Amino acid sequence: MTAIEVKDLHKRYGETLAVDGVSFTVAAGETFGLVGRNGAGKTTTVECLLGLRRPDSGTVRVLGLDPARQRRTLAQRTGAQLQESALPARLRVGEALRLFAAFYRRPADWRRVMEQWDLEPMRDKAFGDLSGGQKQRLQLALALVGDPEVVVLDELTTGLDPVARRDTWTLIGDLKASGTTAVLVSHFMDEAEVLCDRVAVFDRGRIIAMGTPQELIQQTGTNSLDQAYIALARAAR
Amino acid sequence: MRPFTHLAAMELKLLARDSGNVFFMVALPLLLLILNSENKTLTNFLPGYIAMALAIGGINTLPGVIGSYREGKVLRRLATTPISPLALLGAQFVAQMVLGLLATLIIVGAGILVFGVDPPRHPLSLALAFLLCSTMANTLGFLIASVARTAISAGVMGLMVMFPSIFLAGAAVPRGGLPESVQRVGDFLPLTYGVTALRQGWFETPTLMPFLLLIGIIVICTAGAAFLFRWDR
Repeated sequence: MTAIEVKDLHKRYGETLAVDGVSFTVAAGETFGLVGRNGAGKTTTVECLLGLRRPDSGTVRVLGLDPARQRRTLAQRTGAQLQESALPARLRVGEALRLFAAFYRRPADWRRVMEQWDLEPMRDKAFGDLSGGQKQRLQLALALVGDPEVVVLDELTTGLDPVARRDTWTLIGDLKASGTTAVLVSHFMDEAEVLCDRVAVFDRGRIIAMGTPQELIQQTGTNSLDQAYIALARAAR
Repeated sequence: MRPFTHLAAMELKLLARDSGNVFFMVALPLLLLILNSENKTLTNFLPGYIAMALAIGGINTLPGVIGSYREGKVLRRLATTPISPLALLGAQFVAQMVLGLLATLIIVGAGILVFGVDPPRHPLSLALAFLLCSTMANTLGFLIASVARTAISAGVMGLMVMFPSIFLAGAAVPRGGLPESVQRVGDFLPLTYGVTALRQGWFETPTLMPFLLLIGIIVICTAGAAFLFRWDR
């Protein structure tokens, strides 16, 4: 079954062509990675998946719905963690989870999500007082509190220390095991190699390579996705 | 609880948690009331204090809150959930009105019960004046948030509109005591008509004009905010 289908997506901001003919499909239950440097079109692509931006042309379907037209219906079944998004500084961890759970018709038990993500000890702490890693963990928990079928995680571990990054990987592993479809945006290749079933390599608004991490490594005759990415990016120039 | 009710209750809680905000909205008008309590015509001051509390919340606090929600991408974050980011603006509006009502009840209660101010002569007209004055202050706040580029500039602009308003519109000091030229400046301030409507409802004779002017200002501010507001900067 296909969870996400993107066909010939184009998006331009004024003079800048942010996404220039991107196509891919993500199967239900798959963890799909969008990798590439900053400004390669990854974030614009996921914003189109979430209905935050309207494509100039091309089609986007998530769970069979058009995000640009059916954003709110789709949002009942998806969860997202965005780059650099904050919450009101005085909102407390427990309150945020409970509030977000109230937005969904069939949410997960927010208390369980709070425990799963080890947020219970900081339940009464205000968002503004959390460390970077704690904020990230809360954002992830909020992306999952609606019990989504598809999650979009943009720069999952940016700004996290190495231990917190590894902890997050473990939690994403649990998420995969539960059958949730996940789209991961990252510029850490080690992370994409470990977590993603397949990755799409973005470069200047296009996908220059797509496949399992192993396929991309073999295709380039390298030893890691990191090296494979560099080889692919160089070849594209 | 329905999502919107939940959101509005949370916004109210967050406003109440901001002690500076609560101090300005409740303690400052109350302090003025106490300072003027020896005055024989305290009734002349009380309606202005209600307008003052509403102006502090709607014109000063609200733009800063909305500005910070936009800057911190809270509005964008909400757009990925089933709730519309517009609901957050609505929740802030409702929360400001409820907090304004609580401030009003405290100020009015103290005035009547402690300082012996005569109760309002036209309670229904006063209630309508409260609703329109609160709505006007909040929509003016939204307009300021729409024009400002950053959270800090929204807060500063709110302060710059709120301060002249409370002094020149007759909220902190009745206009009758102001110099003639300063009174004319007040004619151009939206809050003046809120004060007038509240005073008429309390101890004068209610007229249609201030209500119509308030509705006009609300329509203009809402249209301006709807046209100028950007979800992202």
